[in-house]
Amino acid sequence: MRKFTNLLTKEIKELITLQLVISLLFTVFLFYFIGQMAKSEVKKALRMQKIAVLNLDTSPFSQELIRNLRSGNFEPVLLRVKTKEEAIQQTNSSNMNLLLVIPEGFGQGIEKLELKPVETYTFLRSLSIMANRNAAVFNAVLKLINNYLSNDYLQKQFPELDPNKIKNPIKSRNFVLVKDKMAEGSAEQITGFITSQSLFVPIILMMIIIYSSQMVISAIAMEKQNKTLETLLTVPISRTSIVTAKMMGAAVVGLISAIIYMVGFRYYMAGFMGDVSRAVKASNLSAIIQSLGLALSPNHYLLLGLSLFLAILCGLAMATILGVLAEDYRSAQSLVMPLVFLVLIPYFLSFFSDFRTMSLPAKILVYLIPFSHPFLASQNILLGNYGIVFGGILYMLIFFAVLIFIAARIFSTDKVLTMKLRFRRKKVVL
Amino acid sequence: METILKVQGLRKFYGKLEALQGIDFEVRRGEIFALIGPNGAGKTTTLRIIATLLSPSAGQVSFLGFDLKKNPEKFREKISYLPEEAGAYRNLKGISYLKFMAKFYARSREEVQTYLESAQAIADLGERINEKIGTYSKGMVRKLLLGRVLMTRPALAILDEPTSGLDVINALEVREIIKKFAAEGLSVLLSSHNMLEIEFLSHRVALINQGQILDTGTPAELKSKYQAANLEEVFRRALQ
Repeated sequence: MRKFTNLLTKEIKELITLQLVISLLFTVFLFYFIGQMAKSEVKKALRMQKIAVLNLDTSPFSQELIRNLRSGNFEPVLLRVKTKEEAIQQTNSSNMNLLLVIPEGFGQGIEKLELKPVETYTFLRSLSIMANRNAAVFNAVLKLINNYLSNDYLQKQFPELDPNKIKNPIKSRNFVLVKDKMAEGSAEQITGFITSQSLFVPIILMMIIIYSSQMVISAIAMEKQNKTLETLLTVPISRTSIVTAKMMGAAVVGLISAIIYMVGFRYYMAGFMGDVSRAVKASNLSAIIQSLGLALSPNHYLLLGLSLFLAILCGLAMATILGVLAEDYRSAQSLVMPLVFLVLIPYFLSFFSDFRTMSLPAKILVYLIPFSHPFLASQNILLGNYGIVFGGILYMLIFFAVLIFIAARIFSTDKVLTMKLRFRRKKVVL
Repeated sequence: METILKVQGLRKFYGKLEALQGIDFEVRRGEIFALIGPNGAGKTTTLRIIATLLSPSAGQVSFLGFDLKKNPEKFREKISYLPEEAGAYRNLKGISYLKFMAKFYARSREEVQTYLESAQAIADLGERINEKIGTYSKGMVRKLLLGRVLMTRPALAILDEPTSGLDVINALEVREIIKKFAAEGLSVLLSSHNMLEIEFLSHRVALINQGQILDTGTPAELKSKYQAANLEEVFRRALQ
């Protein structure tokens, strides 16, 4: 054990370089910086926005419309010009993004049901999502006004009837069922919330696997390139210990790096999600999620953690074998690619498709990739499909055992020095 | 003198290529035994097999009565190997590297300290021992590695081209260290294609070519047998 600790300490010391520390700190700073920028942009988008209004109508309807704009978080700025062209020019020069033109006879038109269209002008000053949001909110406001005006009209025509009953004769209440639990709420809202909450699982997994695997492959390749591996293999310590120390060293450093990255990522996400999270807390969505049993308990986290840990070990074992194939540090970088693809396949599938509805060959392929299982685990734990979760854990355990056996075998034979993946003719040192 | 290493009928195949075609030799306690031959003769393969890096295809290697195939760990405990062009961990300080290696052999902290003192005396790097290996010259790295190999006082030190790539001064220093080590009763098995160096260092020599031992003897015996002025001539005549 003393010798193993000695080796593990060396591996960790070798991996934690000044370059790594600087790169990690820089990434956290970058995430924080982008997050803060995004936060200020979101704030800007959410705060009351100015809207230029050219009102060519004098009816109470147009006054009502302008008043209602305030409920949509807009601050109407009435323009003292006579024509549309002048209004466009003034809006542009005063750096406002939205212009609403209410035509002459707008109110009269509503009364006679001879509708005159209002015109909206959106100044596209950037192509960002936030810029686009202005127009979307503006349209929602028009919808709200439409609703108000039509209700007003119906009430005048049919004073004894509720306008909402005429417009929406079918009422609905939505219920969501998960196994034997039921709650009133929208499925779309619930899945949206859960997806946003479990977003971190695939990201953490992907980052740790890629990062640690790259470390193992590079560490072995560097030992080969610097000719230190030969010395290490002749010291009195078992080859299995050498393999395990390399993997554990990379796992520890990979885990620390991933945690630091996640701290940075949290800052980044908080920039976008901060206000959304507050809105969720204010609603009763979390109560619905609790009553449906969709909240993760400590045991669930343990199970998810186990699944994640085994996937990382599988990645490290694969990286160890790939590392032996590397001739030097440079070739090690390209050997990471197959692993990256194996992680990316389930990563993207978890976002864009439903594993249950896949064709059988696609399903088999996904289940054969060990990294798919933690992606699937987070959903299956919430939905109570523990059979699939435990099956995945067992599969990864067997997969890891087989790989570690192969890696230890390779390290116990000549192959650790003679195996190389290259496209030139094989050369043997005699 | 007692035989500590015995190699009999050693063969090694790399696919279809037979790198060693059944070689025999033995190393005695306290002697410097050298394998000399051109590039590709099979010197490194032989040393790597004895250092437990490669497995033999056939033949027997016994060291202090232990069989290589059955007890490779016994070989690792008592043998120290210096590969040709070996490197050390560039991010570690010289002293940290020595400490790291010493811990594999030592049974106590005191023993680690003894090994470290011995290694520092051999490497003779002064204050530079506390600097990162990445800042060392090739000669300094080689001396550090030699310190690492000899600090545990192994029963057999295997040195593959110990002075390869070193300047004259560093090469001379390394040769002196090796001689002193053998004079203390420990054995050295080395390889080189520098015949003059071998003549200066070795007690006995094996001439190896194309995976076969051509002849074995002391430099004086070989020179007399082949009526040659030096080992280079001996080798040329042995090939004829």
